[in-house]
Amino acid sequence: MVYHPQPYIIDHVKTINKEVKLFRIKSDLNPKPGQFFEISMPGIGECPLASCSHNPHQIDMLTRLAGNVTTAFFQLKKGDIVHIRGPYGKGFPLGKLKNKNLILIAGGTGLAPITSLINYIEQNRSHFGNIIIYFGFRNPEYILLKDKIKEWRKKFKVTICLDKLEGDKQCKEGFVHEVMNKAPPDTAETIALMCGPEIMMKSVTQTLNKLGLTDDKIYWSMERRMECAFGNCGRCLIQDVYVCRDGPVFRYDHIKPRLENEETSNKIKTH
Amino acid sequence: MQKIIKINSLNEFLTNLIKDYTVIAPVKERTTKFKAILDPKQIYLDKITKIPLKKFFLPEEELLLAFKENKITEVRPKTKPTIIFGARKCDLNAINVLDKVMKDPNYMHRRKNTILIGMYCTHPDKYCFCESMELINFYDLFFYPYNGHYYISIGSKKGEALVKHLPSAKKEITLKFKNTKKIKNKDIAADYQNTIWETDANKCLSCSACTVVCPTCNCFDIKDKSLINKKQGRRTRSSASCQLKSFSRVAGGKAFRDSRLSRFKHFVYHKIVYFKNRHKIYMCVGCGRCLRACPTHIDWTKTINILSKTKKIQKK
Repeated sequence: MVYHPQPYIIDHVKTINKEVKLFRIKSDLNPKPGQFFEISMPGIGECPLASCSHNPHQIDMLTRLAGNVTTAFFQLKKGDIVHIRGPYGKGFPLGKLKNKNLILIAGGTGLAPITSLINYIEQNRSHFGNIIIYFGFRNPEYILLKDKIKEWRKKFKVTICLDKLEGDKQCKEGFVHEVMNKAPPDTAETIALMCGPEIMMKSVTQTLNKLGLTDDKIYWSMERRMECAFGNCGRCLIQDVYVCRDGPVFRYDHIKPRLENEETSNKIKTH
Repeated sequence: MQKIIKINSLNEFLTNLIKDYTVIAPVKERTTKFKAILDPKQIYLDKITKIPLKKFFLPEEELLLAFKENKITEVRPKTKPTIIFGARKCDLNAINVLDKVMKDPNYMHRRKNTILIGMYCTHPDKYCFCESMELINFYDLFFYPYNGHYYISIGSKKGEALVKHLPSAKKEITLKFKNTKKIKNKDIAADYQNTIWETDANKCLSCSACTVVCPTCNCFDIKDKSLINKKQGRRTRSSASCQLKSFSRVAGGKAFRDSRLSRFKHFVYHKIVYFKNRHKIYMCVGCGRCLRACPTHIDWTKTINILSKTKKIQKK
């Protein structure tokens, strides 16, 4: 049945900071990069989470403590059972990325879907051109997946942008779009993909536009409230598109007019 | 070919159906609604029901899963073969709309088990505008009252089997609907930013009555409940309303449709524009229930008509 989650065993739990934990779960669900799951805490509820790895035998859940379900999820330890249904969504448009240069941008825990894409790129390196990666975090304490980032630094051009540098020498100070403005990346034959808070994605997109990347070369991985995850409950509708079924990754020129419509009417407060 | 039955033989026809099926029909109790009947005399066809037919297919709250310790079991609804009798054309078209979206197993189970019998409505009121919504013939059987008889149109084999024993009609009778209310030009996709919507949204209380009584509003919530020891619990699906702020709220507190205006427009545009983009039919079936139920008498059909009028003037 579509609502029935299946049990999987937690293989490993790593506490990254007081807000974020990384759960490694044994599973053969093998999601495409950018797809997501509904994590079930029986008696508490469900929440949508993206896998942050691309591996046929495991899924990694980079989880930020945000609500009731994640609070319950955080209690689980190695060897416990977690119920999952999925994968859902279409994920990243891998076919369209072939032989292109990529700019990947992730903000905070928006890192998760982008990481699954980086994994995929590592496994199929010859399919892609230059890879430039930007990560945005609050401060050095909030840098996620430090070991992995260290590895990626050897393979790709990685820039970490921190709101507050606090003496960290390997990172740059400022929001991602500010850092990008100071040292503009090459945008020829390039596609940009990003995930993070919408306000961050918006300013980064504007900067990329200035650097010559048009909206049809930019993809957003989006977040909305989801209950069913297969386009029935209507919760994730942005005008006429379902984030769960049609996304969660959208080409920006497709989603832009819809977002702008809702945004402008959100600004007008009636009585 | 239509079948024919005398109007005063209808009760006998229905009494026979009640023996083999659960028959759901409009009744008048404290409110008008669809309900399982035991006697055909309970049926009330004079006015459109306040509570829509969807409540039978999508109950207000429904059990999906039961938890015990770490075991999860599915709960399937138990339904007898059912006949819906006396649904209006708008009610039936609403089921067609729901069929397009709902892939929920409980919904589909009920649909498979159901035969739809429609009745021509002789009393459309001042809120009805079904004529404007391009409704189709969607039924297993449909009754047209004419000259002391019901002329029965057959829409499916399931329906045909129920009226096999009845004589065939010599001539075909179908009746047209007459509404006083009309929506003239429904092409409002480009008018999303028009400030005219603010007038309606200003009156809106976000009470969600429109979505409760709408026969095609199907959005839902999945909720969990558990005993205090957390050893037993259940997961239910219950109806949700896009008119409430909590509808789009995510963990962390951000509500994506934050203003009343954006929520109100979401309702109207979903019914008239968004659904049509995807499924080629209007989600609104013109039953007028939202207009009847609105405590502040918001009439968005009027607003759409004003929009098309101003467009005409601008063209001139």
